[in-house]
Amino acid sequence: MTEFFTALIEYSFLQHALLACLLASISCGVIGSYIVVKQISFLTGGIAHSVLAGMGIAYFYNASPILGAIIAALVSSILIGLISLRWKEHEDVLIAAFWSAGMAIGLLFLSRTPGYNIDLMSYLFGNILLISTNDLLLMLLLDLVILTTVLFFYKQFLISVFDEEFARLRGVNTEFFYILLLCLISITIVILIQLVGLILVIALLTLPAATANQYVSSLYKMFFLSALICLGVSLCGVFISFGPDLPTGSTIVLVACCTYFISVFLKRFISTA
Amino acid sequence: MNNVVIDINDVSFSYGNVSVLEKISLKIFEDEFIGIIGPNASGKTTLLKLILGLLEPDNGNIEKHKKDDKEMSNLIGYVPQHITFARDFPVTVREVVMMGHVSSSSRLFRFKKDEVEIAKDIMQMLEIEEIADRQVGALSGGQLQRVLIARALVCKPEILILDEPTSNVDARVEEDIFALLKNYSEHMTIIVVSHDIAFISGYVDRVACLNRTLVCHDTESISGKMIEDLYDAPVKMIHHHH
Repeated sequence: MTEFFTALIEYSFLQHALLACLLASISCGVIGSYIVVKQISFLTGGIAHSVLAGMGIAYFYNASPILGAIIAALVSSILIGLISLRWKEHEDVLIAAFWSAGMAIGLLFLSRTPGYNIDLMSYLFGNILLISTNDLLLMLLLDLVILTTVLFFYKQFLISVFDEEFARLRGVNTEFFYILLLCLISITIVILIQLVGLILVIALLTLPAATANQYVSSLYKMFFLSALICLGVSLCGVFISFGPDLPTGSTIVLVACCTYFISVFLKRFISTA
Repeated sequence: MNNVVIDINDVSFSYGNVSVLEKISLKIFEDEFIGIIGPNASGKTTLLKLILGLLEPDNGNIEKHKKDDKEMSNLIGYVPQHITFARDFPVTVREVVMMGHVSSSSRLFRFKKDEVEIAKDIMQMLEIEEIADRQVGALSGGQLQRVLIARALVCKPEILILDEPTSNVDARVEEDIFALLKNYSEHMTIIVVSHDIAFISGYVDRVACLNRTLVCHDTESISGKMIEDLYDAPVKMIHHHH
């Protein structure tokens, strides 16, 4: 315990890690809430995995993998969004295709990139202890983009997510806001990749928000509560993993799962008692 | 005779190869309370969606006439038959009612003072003020129906359209809702879709009978023969006194 706090004062990488948890929790809480109420976690998984294509291509051409990730996430969210609007009946198959095609493209490009790159593992499974000051600044910037957009269009997002037909009658362009939401999701994924990696991103985007959903009556309250839960869960994960030197991303995800199941259980227990 | 507010002109619509509506013509007048009845799958909801502009007719056209410089989205208030949302969707009654004020130009969280006042008055009138802070997933069918009616009314529409407003509520609530609509109909055009002809004809001024094609009647002149043609089965007539 004291060992952790001495290390926290001593090492900047640990301070960076905690700051990263804080910054990631903000967008994770807000965007995760939309993913849970709109019930699009599978679609989110598709976007997350197709990000590998962008990173693989970026590696191959020796460009910034995070830039590749952002571009790939935005492109695939727009494509997946258009597909799910136009071909609703085949949506799940098409998302599965995107999911695997993205990973396949990424792996192909990586296999042609000379040298084994340790960074790849950290994008797949996250490495919160390697986060640099530049990464933190990028996370802050993306957080600001997400928060401004969500607050500015709060009413349109709420009405489109709750009752799409009524939103259209009110003159709200629901297709635009759907695609915009997917773009925000893809930005959040890029932020979270540094924390838990793209394979585990889906857990952080759904579990804290689903936990929060059991206790709130308004969407904006859900933002706050799920951001808090996300922060608690990720700090807890960093803390637990530090001593025995466990992979941090996996620890965070398991803490999130436990929190969710305990919460569901308690809620059931209380309501039947 | 009052002004025509909705003029449906020779409208046809089909989903793929399945023809749902054929050559429908209907004029709806200002402050009229009109019922559209017909058996299940007779195209009632489709006709409403065409009027609302959610669907485009294959043939013909629908003209909507508004009085002043009202925005088109504030012309019609719509109360759907079902709304599908998760029971645990985090949204309160007040927030759902306020959705009736949202437009493409709404920004940020706050609503204008007069928008809040209007919503408050309407919630009072519909007796849902006390449940304003409850989550909508926890409401009964009748309460939810009132919330949806309130949501449709807050933009002060000239026309109110309701799709099977009483399909999820018990008989007492059904009467309450129709009595309420009767009250509103003095200064508002109301279009109600229903499959329950016996009930609806006690309230409305005129009935349009729909089964792919359309026949229109004053409520006085509905005959057993006509209903048999419509529903394609013998029916018992129950007389109402207007």
